Parts: sequence; C-alpha cells; structure tokens
Amino acid sequence: MSETNSIFSSYEKDSKFYDEIFDEDGNVKKVYQTLFDLYSGHSSQDYARLNDKAKASFFNQGITFQVYNDNEAKEKIFPFDLFPRIIDPKEWEHIERGVLQRSKALNHFIWDIYHDKKIIKQGIVPLDLITSSANYLHQMIGVDPPGGIYNHISGTDLIKHSDGKYYVLEDNIRCPSGVSYVICNRTALKRALFGVFNHYNAHTVTDYAQNLLEMMETVKPRGVDEPNCVVITPGVYNSAYYEHSYLAKAMGVELVEGRDLFVENDFVYMQTIKGPERVDVIYRRIDDAFLDPLEFRPDSALGVPGLFSAYKKGNVCLVNAPGTGFADDKAVYTYMPEIIKYYLNEEPILNNVHTYHCSRPDELKYVLENVDKLVIKPVDEAGGYGISIGNKLTKEEIEKVKKTIQASPRKYIAQPIMSLSVHATYIEESESFESRHVDLRTFCLLGANKEFVLKGGLTRVALRKGNLIVNSSQGGGSKDTWVLKSKS
Amino acid sequence: MLARVANNLFWMGRYIERSEHLARYLNVNYFSSLDAPNDKSQSRKHVLHSLLFMANGPVDKDYELTEENVFYDIGLNPETPYSIINAVKYARENANGARDLISTELYESLNKFYHFVLRYDSDFFVKKGLYDFTTQVTEATAVLRGKIRGTLLHDEVYAIIMLGVNIERATQVVRIIQAKYYDALNAQGGYEDKFSKSYEWTTLLKCIESYDMMRRHYRKTPTSITTLEFLILNDDCPRSVMNSLVQVKKHIEQLNLDKNPQKDSAAFLIGKTHAEYCYKTVDTIEGNIESFIEDIQNTLFEIAKKIEKEYFQIR
Amino acid sequence: MEYTIKYKAKNSYETEVTDALWQFLIAPQDNESQKLRLAEFKNSLNAATEESTNSLNFNIYRVIQRKAFKSIEFEANFIVRKEEVNPFSALDSIYNAEHYELINSLDFRITHEQFLNATELTQFPKTGINFEFEENRSVFDNLQQLNNWLFSNFKFKQQVTDTRSTTEDFVSRGAGVCQDFTHLFLAIARHNKIPTRYTSGYLHQGNGYKGDSQMHAWAECYIPEKGWLGFDPTNNLIALENHIKVAHGKDYSDCAPIKGVLYTSSSTNTTEYSVEVFAREENAPDVFTQSQSQGFGKRANQQQLDFQMQWQQQQQQQQQQLREQSGTIF
Repeated sequence: MSETNSIFSSYEKDSKFYDEIFDEDGNVKKVYQTLFDLYSGHSSQDYARLNDKAKASFFNQGITFQVYNDNEAKEKIFPFDLFPRIIDPKEWEHIERGVLQRSKALNHFIWDIYHDKKIIKQGIVPLDLITSSANYLHQMIGVDPPGGIYNHISGTDLIKHSDGKYYVLEDNIRCPSGVSYVICNRTALKRALFGVFNHYNAHTVTDYAQNLLEMMETVKPRGVDEPNCVVITPGVYNSAYYEHSYLAKAMGVELVEGRDLFVENDFVYMQTIKGPERVDVIYRRIDDAFLDPLEFRPDSALGVPGLFSAYKKGNVCLVNAPGTGFADDKAVYTYMPEIIKYYLNEEPILNNVHTYHCSRPDELKYVLENVDKLVIKPVDEAGGYGISIGNKLTKEEIEKVKKTIQASPRKYIAQPIMSLSVHATYIEESESFESRHVDLRTFCLLGANKEFVLKGGLTRVALRKGNLIVNSSQGGGSKDTWVLKSKS
Repeated sequence: MLARVANNLFWMGRYIERSEHLARYLNVNYFSSLDAPNDKSQSRKHVLHSLLFMANGPVDKDYELTEENVFYDIGLNPETPYSIINAVKYARENANGARDLISTELYESLNKFYHFVLRYDSDFFVKKGLYDFTTQVTEATAVLRGKIRGTLLHDEVYAIIMLGVNIERATQVVRIIQAKYYDALNAQGGYEDKFSKSYEWTTLLKCIESYDMMRRHYRKTPTSITTLEFLILNDDCPRSVMNSLVQVKKHIEQLNLDKNPQKDSAAFLIGKTHAEYCYKTVDTIEGNIESFIEDIQNTLFEIAKKIEKEYFQIR
Repeated sequence: MEYTIKYKAKNSYETEVTDALWQFLIAPQDNESQKLRLAEFKNSLNAATEESTNSLNFNIYRVIQRKAFKSIEFEANFIVRKEEVNPFSALDSIYNAEHYELINSLDFRITHEQFLNATELTQFPKTGINFEFEENRSVFDNLQQLNNWLFSNFKFKQQVTDTRSTTEDFVSRGAGVCQDFTHLFLAIARHNKIPTRYTSGYLHQGNGYKGDSQMHAWAECYIPEKGWLGFDPTNNLIALENHIKVAHGKDYSDCAPIKGVLYTSSSTNTTEYSVEVFAREENAPDVFTQSQSQGFGKRANQQQLDFQMQWQQQQQQQQQQLREQSGTIF
C-alpha cells in the first residue's frame, strides 16, 4: 500500500486479526485491488461529502429505527459504510452450502422435538436443555405446520477468525431482521459510487422479496390454490417497521397489524374496505408470546385472538412457526455439530465456536478460572445485551461476572474470544478508512421444495475502535456485501 | 385494501391539507392586517383573535393574545392539538401506517417536511420566522399534492387520499369563511366600512389563494356577496366548497360502483349534498350566513362519519 | 349416573364495550368414563357463537360480539352420563421397585415432560413442606398420603387467594380454594417425578363436598401400570363419578373457564357466575329446566376478571410490548 495515500494513511494493521483487504505482507488482496485503486482516486473531502449524502438519503427516506432511552424514542439511521465487502465465488459457495445445511438440520430438529423427541431418546441432546427453555412451546407438540417447515427464514451470523476460517456465531430462527438493509445498502452504494460497479460483477440482492413470496406460497394451507399472503407487524412504532413495510411493498402484499385480522370458525380474515378477505399465509414479525392472547400472553394487544387454533387446524400458515426459539438458544447452538450429523448424516460444513456450558460443573470451573480469556454470554438474550468480553474487564468486573454466573449457571455459556476479521471502514472523525471488526449475517429461506440463500448478506461493522460487538443496538453499522459471480 | 390503512390514507390527506390552510391563514391574515385600511382591521387583538378562532374555534377569555403566544400555539406548540406541527406529525404517522401502499417519493417528501417542521427553531419562528415558516409549509404541501397526483396509481389508494384532502379542504374553507365573516362583522365602523364592502373579504380571498382568480372572474372589487358566491358555489374555483364536493363525489364513485347507492350510505349523502349545491343561489346564503355555515359543517362532518363507518371499520 | 349442569355468567361494564370476544372452557369432556349427552350454550345478546378446540384439544365456545353493549349473560346447559368405574385394584398398595425405575427412565420422562416441570403457579415452595414420599411405599399410596396431607394441613377458605396466588402464598396462609390445593399437589407430585396435570371440572356436591358454587379443580396423576387417576386434595377424595371433567393442563392458566378480549374504555366491570350440578333421575326427559336458584351468588368473581382486559390499557401496553419484541434488534 502506498504511504502517500491519505485515505488509507491511518489504517492500522494488526497481525492478531484476519484482515479482509490486506495480506500478511501489507499488500492489497487481488480481489480488492481494483476497488482499492478506484477508491484511492478520491479525496477525503469526496468521501466526507458522499458519506453525508448517504446519511441524509437514509434519513429522508425514513430508513430509521427507534432507540429507546429513558422512555424517549429517538429516530436513528443505521450507519452505512462506503467501502463494500467482497466475497469471492468459491468462498461463497462454501458459506451457502453450510448455511443451508444448518437451516435444514434445525428444521428436522424442531420437527423431532415437537413430535417423537428421538434425538433426546438417543441421548444426543439432554431433555432439560429443551424443557427448561422458555421458548419451547407445549402448544406446538404434535402440530404439523404446512409443508413441514418451521424455520422458513433463518439468519445465520458468521465471523472469520484469525485462522482465516468462517465460524458460525449463532443461528437466528425466530424473526431474523436486517434483510432490508442489505437492499438499502446496495442502493445507497450504487448511488454514491456507481463507477465501481463497472469493474465488478456482483450478484443482485433485490431478488430476495420475490423468493420470500415464492417460499411463502409453497407453505400454503391445504385446499388453497392461490394463497393470500400478508406481513404482520407490531405497528409503526416498532423499530423494525421500515423493514416490515419494505418487505410488504416489495412483495406487493398487505402489511397488517393484529387489529386488522380476526378469526372466525378457525379461519383468519382481514378487514378490507370491501369487507373480510381470507388470509392464508402470514409472515409474522411479532414474537410468539404476543401472537394470540387466548393462547399465549393474555395481555397481548398486538396479536389476534384465536389465531393459534386456526394455525393448529392447518387453516393458516405462520412464517416462522411458533416455538422455534428453543432451537436458536445459545445452549442448543453448542450441539449443532451433533444435530447436523444426526439428522443429515453429514459432517458440518461450517465451524462452530467451542463452547463451555456453565451448567456442567467441570466446565463451570474452567470458566470461572479463565473469565479473562473468554466471552461470557447469557443464553436467552438477543441483540448483544449482557455480553462480557473477558479481556476488556477490570479485576472488579471479573469478580462481578463470576458472581453472576455462579448465581445461575444454566443461564450462561462461555466461548473463547474469537477475533473477528477486520475490514476497511470509513470513519467520520478521521475522514479516512480505518480497520474495524466485521461479521456477516446471511439470510436463508426454506419452503416446501424451495431453498434460497440470499447471495449477499449484511456485513455488520463495529464502528468503535477495537470493539467486537456489531449489533445495531450497540452502535454498529453495516456494509454493502458483494458476492462475485464466478467466471465461467 | 385494509380498512385501517384506508383510514390512515384518508387522515394523511386531511392532515396535509389542514397544515396548508393553517399556515396560509396565519401568513396572509396576519400580514394583510398590518396595513389594513381601517383601525379595527389593523388592531393586533382583532387579528390574533381571528387567527386563533380559525385554528381552534371560540377563544378562551383568559387567553393572553400576544403574537408570541398565538404564533407558537398555532405553529409549533406540540401541546396544542390544532398546531401545524401536530398536523404534520399526524400526517406522517398516518403515512407510516400506510407506508407499503404509498410511493417512496411521496413518503420521502412527507418525511422531509416532517423533519423540517420538527427542527424549526420555535424562538426564531415567533420572533422573525413567521413568513419564512408558513411559506415553506405551504410550499411543502404543494409538493405533496404534486406527489400524490403524480406518483400514485389513480386507484383506490388515490381515491381515498383525495376524499380526505377534499373533505378537509371544504371544511377548512368554510372555517376560514366563518372566521372572516366574524371579522367583517366586528370591523364595521364608520360610513365607509360597510359590511358588504369590508376589506376583510379581500383578505378572505387571499387566505384561500383565490383573490386573483376571483378578480379575473368578476373584474370587480370583492363584496360579501361575490366573495361568498365565488368561494362556495363556483365550481371552477379549485378552492370552492362546490369544487371540493365535485371531487368528493367523483372519488366516492370510484370506491362505490353501485349506481344507486343505499339511502343511508356515504355515497348517497354526498350525491344529495352535491345536487343541493348545484341549485343553490348566493342570495339564499347571504342572509343566513351563520346557519349556512353551521349546516355545511354538519354535513361535511356527517359525510366523513359515514365514510369512516362504511370503509374504515376495523373488526 | 346422570347429571344436569347449568353454568351461568353475567358480565356488566360501566361504559359501552364496542367489540368483544370470549372463550369458554366449560363443556364436559367426552371420554371413557363420561359421555356428554346434550349441550346447549346461549347468550342474552344472541352474539355469534362458534365451537373450536384449544391447544390441548379440549372443546371451547367462542362468542363474538361486534355491536356495542353494556351487559351480557351467558348460559350453558349440559347433560352428562358418568360411568361407574372402579379404579382400585389389589396391587395399588403393593410396592413395586420397577415403577420407580420406570418413572426415572429417560423415555418415561420424555413422554410425560409436559406434566413434569414446575410452572410459575406450581413452584415447589422453598419452605413449609414437611411431606415426603416414603421409600418402599407404592406410588398410589404415596399420592394418597399427599392428598391426605394437604387435606389435613390446609383449610378451605374463600377470598384469601386469587388465581395468581403462588404455592408460597398458599403455604404461608395455610388456607385457600381448590385451585391452591391443586397447585400445591401438582408442585409436590411433580417434585417427586410423578406426571401430574391440573384438572378443571364440576363437582356434584350432593354429599357435602367442598368446592363452592364455582368450577372445581383437582389433580390427575400418571401411575405406572394404572394410567391417569384423579386426586381431589380439597376433599381428600379420588375423583370418581362425582367429578365431571372439563379439561386439563399444566396449571390453572391452561384451564381458565373464561377468557376475554374486550375493546372498551370502561375501567370497572363486574362478573357474576354460578354453577349448579344436579343428579338426574334415570329416564328423566332431556329438557333443561329453569334455574332453581334465583340470580347469582353475591360476589363478583375475581377468577374471571383476570383474563379480561381493557382496550385502553392495551394501548399503553402496546407501546411497552413493542419494545419487548425481539425482532427489533439484530
């Protein structure tokens, strides 16, 4: 890299981490070379301007999410980074197969747990692991979802460790979100730096909505020819509302709220200006507990009374199925290699991070003795809350963490500190590109005879220097992600 | 289309329209009064009272009529339900609820409008920014009108927005007429300030952006009778009550394909009201302006209620 | 043995309710030992009624009222035939080690996991339980002992607990109603690895059994080689022909007789309800008679109010719930 180039002059290289752009000798990797040259042709003022424009564009379009602080809602944009991540075709092929494998294995797993529980009988997964999970729903026992599909939509989070290999951090199979940002990021980058696309042949990401709709149509209830699909949202105040409205619009289906729907004789209808209209497939973006006040939380104001009995009778399909949450639990994650082998009779394609269960006395002992070398995670929290990274803690904090774990070991797992790879990221303060940690969320669809992995994904980036937590709620941003077409 | 979403579209249309009329009335009525030909029309109290009356009906006796209070309450006070800032907030909230059905262009303009209003410095507004703020608001609403017309398919979505826009427009125009009618009554003074030739009629026309159109049509100085005739009955005037009724009729027919609507339906009441206005003459109005205003307000309210009941009922 | 059961409920609201939906879990189950011969369900507003099943496949009635109202009455009538069965056998009291082995086996725990884990309402109390299963005693006898222990150590007393009362509350007060007896029974039996389910139904009180004029509750336990058997700790009885089962579940929350979703600004409402169970003469005509007691019991029933909610509260809840949605964060 040329030291005279001001845009990359404050880029620090650290051999502890895998660098996506530069190789060990500090040379730009082949796949990034053209991009690097093009970017070097712009001045830092150019980027400052482009960055401002991109931010304003997101803000004006209302592509924002609410952050709640002391009961006050603030509208924020999800920071977008100008430097795209590039994934070459061979690497992607590996990811795609691995993600699909996990998604299928999880679907088998959920079916088994709600039917015969063979995997428990075989002693592969402990019974308590399932029954102690708040997300395991007795209501789902024996229910056959249309098409036999539970996790129609999966969001698998991957990282690249310092050994240059991909590891799965977690599988999200409740209501994985973020896909609208994949599409927005592409649009924003095209607007800002259209020139660069002429030199690369990246797969489109706009076909997601069409595939989502096609997948939903494969899981229609029996006896329905052309299913009426809808998206249900908790409402305009939900922080992911933009995504809900985007998906409904892109699929050309109605975006409904609970109060738009009602159940009569175990069929679901929506109230339109021309009277009731039957609804067959619901992509639901509300949590299990809120789906139906008659069956789950009785105080739910977001759901539809009677929805669950309509579902149980097979008159409507819910995407994803209720009760998938026990399977993306962080404690179940650690059994994923065994789960994949058991159901698919295949070796796992993607690596799992080694995990210590605090519920096991010997592992708990190791964890308590090595907190400083581990990441401690609560089993039941989403969004990066409650995570402690051992080597960032003070002595007092370590003692505090130990006490918390000892109080309820079942609630915690620990993993070695994985070093997320770094990538060039535009930093406003320094008006230049610096290295920041990134991960990758992929999106996988599973229907009846329908599989789809979005060729691209959400590369999330921790904007604070040295930070490893990339979640949007913790100040993370994201990058456009290019999956290159293979030259054949 | 979902009944709830239809309700959102309807009210989005209404609130956009409302913010425009509020802003223009604030602007035109206030600035015209500064050099009005008679003392009464020029009086601060008189004009501030008129502004507040138009925005929120009868004014509380204890209300301290200062520029700062009145401008703030009508313009940027988030606590007063009738303020422009709230109208814009509600318009955007309703647009949010129907976001998947309206064009990205329309949403983006409305969103920018919302952020503009939200960020406007209220201190600057009440001291120096009245003209700037109200002009920008009316311009933004004109842009929104253009986006509604130009970026949406003219189907049910469009018809419902236009129903809201036109019902609100008629409501606001009647409201402005009412406010200025009282102003004209109150401003009566010496020989030259006859009610029928009051300066307030000119202001009234300007508040509804119809002064030039009216001059072209009559080629005379506005009087009470010509002004009312123009603003209520002239269907060529895009701001007249009659014109709004024509639009409402057109759009309800788009939703209701029934040629002979049922007796209690919204379409029936709209058709009936429209027919009545086709054969109304201004002399029947002039003598009873007050009761006319009351009647038309009630009818518009009734129409909106029926539309709501027929099309927007959830569950 | 045949019974006529009359269930009546009246809900009144201070201000108008614009829209409402109720779900009733009150119809006797059709099973091996009882036959639901006749059922009728009506309401004073002629609101649409539909039948469906809950997640455990018990029959429910759903009433949907879409016009404004301030008061509604419901009435259900059932004729049930109970078979006389003798569940006892000579082996009941004979200790069998294999039974305990079975109970501890993985397959058994998997099959019955649904009724083996403590729920919020059936936590094993930290203190105050001086009852233990005895070794070398049969499962049946241990459960009989438990039934007896509860009956002798706790008082039946109304209005000291409500449907949200925990087992700890019950233990500290030493008194409560059938739900409390049942919840504590469940907690202790499950603690001893016996699959146990909350059972709701009607009790024929002809013999002076306790249960008041509401629906009754008891526990059903799975006993190896025997199957499910009902224990009524409130009366120290085995559930036989006087116990008419409606439904079972993990705890009361699966068996609430009435659940409602209301859209109203009304802040206060009253619910009254009554249950009457009569033994029928053989060959009596299948006609439902007028209620023999006039009106309802005096006090409003807390049990039913729990599951009713007000739309206005809902709106506030909505904001809160929106924040709890996990879909919002990634």
